[in-house]
Amino acid sequence: MTMTTPEGAVLTVDEAPGEDFRPGSVGLVGRGFVWVGLGVALLLPMLTVDFAQACSLAAIYAIVGLSLNIVVGYTGQLSLGHQGFLGLGALTAANIVFKLKVPFYIGIVGGIAAATVAAVVLGLVALRITGLYLSLITLVFGTAIASSLFSLGSLTRNGSGVPANRPDAVSTNARYYLLCLLVMLVIFYLDTRLTASKTGRALLAIKENERVAEAFGIGVTSYKLLAFGLSGAIAGLAGGLFAFRSQTYAAQDFTETGLSLALLFVVMVVVGGLGNRVGVVIAAAFFALLNYLLDKLFISWHAFRHLVEHVPVLNGYYGPNKGALAGLIGAVLLLQTLIFNPGGIGESVAPIQRWLKGKRFSLHDDSASAGPGAVEGSSVRA
Amino acid sequence: MTLAATTLAAGAAPLALDVQLKIGQPFVVGLLQGSVYGLIGLGLVLLYKSNRIFNFAQAEFGTVAGISAYLGLNGKLFHIPWHMPYAVACIIGVAIGTLTAVLTERLVVRPLFDRPKVILVVGTVGVLLLLIALESLVFPEGKSLPAFNNPKQGVFRSLTDPAARLGFAHYNLQWEQILTLVTLVVLALATVAFFRYSRNGTAILAVSQEPVAAQTVGISVSRISLITWTLAGFLGSVAGILVLAGSAVVSPGVVTGTTLVGGITAAVLGGVTSLPGAFVGGLLVGLLQAYAGTFLTQFPGSESVAVGVVLLLVLLVRPQGLLGREA
Repeated sequence: MTMTTPEGAVLTVDEAPGEDFRPGSVGLVGRGFVWVGLGVALLLPMLTVDFAQACSLAAIYAIVGLSLNIVVGYTGQLSLGHQGFLGLGALTAANIVFKLKVPFYIGIVGGIAAATVAAVVLGLVALRITGLYLSLITLVFGTAIASSLFSLGSLTRNGSGVPANRPDAVSTNARYYLLCLLVMLVIFYLDTRLTASKTGRALLAIKENERVAEAFGIGVTSYKLLAFGLSGAIAGLAGGLFAFRSQTYAAQDFTETGLSLALLFVVMVVVGGLGNRVGVVIAAAFFALLNYLLDKLFISWHAFRHLVEHVPVLNGYYGPNKGALAGLIGAVLLLQTLIFNPGGIGESVAPIQRWLKGKRFSLHDDSASAGPGAVEGSSVRA
Repeated sequence: MTLAATTLAAGAAPLALDVQLKIGQPFVVGLLQGSVYGLIGLGLVLLYKSNRIFNFAQAEFGTVAGISAYLGLNGKLFHIPWHMPYAVACIIGVAIGTLTAVLTERLVVRPLFDRPKVILVVGTVGVLLLLIALESLVFPEGKSLPAFNNPKQGVFRSLTDPAARLGFAHYNLQWEQILTLVTLVVLALATVAFFRYSRNGTAILAVSQEPVAAQTVGISVSRISLITWTLAGFLGSVAGILVLAGSAVVSPGVVTGTTLVGGITAAVLGGVTSLPGAFVGGLLVGLLQAYAGTFLTQFPGSESVAVGVVLLLVLLVRPQGLLGREA
């Protein structure tokens, strides 16, 4: 937001007139180095086939995280059915491309459309009722669709999986990772535009106080529906990318892990910080890579393996029950975030973020520009 | 009614088999499964009445109880196995399940009490995840809890004869199933009576309707919250033991996987604030699943789809649920 003083100078609101801080040349070079370093770090996974595949999943989870963030972080509703939208996107994209022989991108668009329709229909029912009914309806939706549509013989080639071959341009894992990363960045950018728009402000107002928002002429139900539909669309997009990442649509990706996948998404968004994009992306990447990293740790690091085999409490985790360790980490992080650190990862990295944007490094936000990240606490912690 | 009709039809042999298989058997199965949903639903309604939240960890208290009961029966202390009687193990299981609910209230719900409701709901999701992770820590492989009529360990050891199935041999009805149904009815009636007639019950209602006013007349909101969570934990634990005894494999998260969605649907169908509603809703969901599974076998997952569709329709037509009103 800018305004013009009588002298004609343009001031931005978050910089008071006397405190116009510009980093010096050393500061600029330092910040430049960090930016370049971040860029290089994002491209590094392209060097290895295995890790690129894991990082594609991280980018896809980040997209899902951003999608769920719109529902939980911006409108204050809870969805436990996002694995349903993800699966629906994957199912539709893979089937369209395989059966109709249309190009890859049309399949992705089909996946988006299917997930959007599902989200709008669910939202139409659930969002008319006040309270947290959306969480229940999405939970029932997620389990119902997993046991029916996702396992339908004609859509899964009788359970053997629908092949989802990548187009030549992104056929290697490294290139596919780059595609996922780019899509994630585009969604991230669109999300910043969303929160800066009239819609974004309406959503935040609804989250703060529905009655007040309604009194100011905001159509509460229609904005919630818009947000939920948008969220479904983005999850469907992630689903399409998911199918082509594993190069096959396999029902068990969504049926066996069903509810725990939905809960993992919620954990990502909360641990990242409700309404905080950067935090959500970091948390999503962390949880997507957690199993991969634990696998590596168990398999290749001998000392760790030794430790785990001989400590009575840990040895339960060795072997088939490895996933439980990731679950434990997720659950503990979720509860500690909720109780002790409501801002999540996003709030913790905010000083670095501000420094990277050219502000002075400080642990407190001097400009006090309360972004969406401050939403959860703002009405609660005075 | 259907039971009577089936018994009458038992005379006409070719038709009788069909009626019994298609109408009678699903009715019995649905009623029993539905009674478990009803118990989970009762706990959910109880917490919704007092805290205005949905507790996603409700069914998991049942898994905790089941696993505790299993460890009570088969556990070892310093490599010496203890053999406690079956009934004692069940009571200990229920006690530990209830204790889990109490700890949840103290450690998670209390600190988040003044935050937005969605945060509180996410908190219960966190409890669910934590319980599942901790269960896999103490109970890594899937074992099953013996049935109530197990010849070695069960409560009803004398009734192990498969023919002793309460007269209706062709319905495959067993003592433990009757016990499930009776337990549900007794617990549901007791809960309703508790709300109607006891001081604490009416205090819970007062707090749920107007917390500030309730505090003004001397009701301790935090004590009421503790009481409701204890009750809900007890209901969830009993449901868990009833589900797990004899039938299912005990594994981390098993009761949540089999009953949470049914229990939630039961609570919503009945109107989330009505205890009899949850009871009736649970039976409805159970019957619906059983008949959908019988008549729509060509569609995979017809049970859960039927439940989902009915839930959507009920919410469209009657958002307050079938019996939605206070008390």
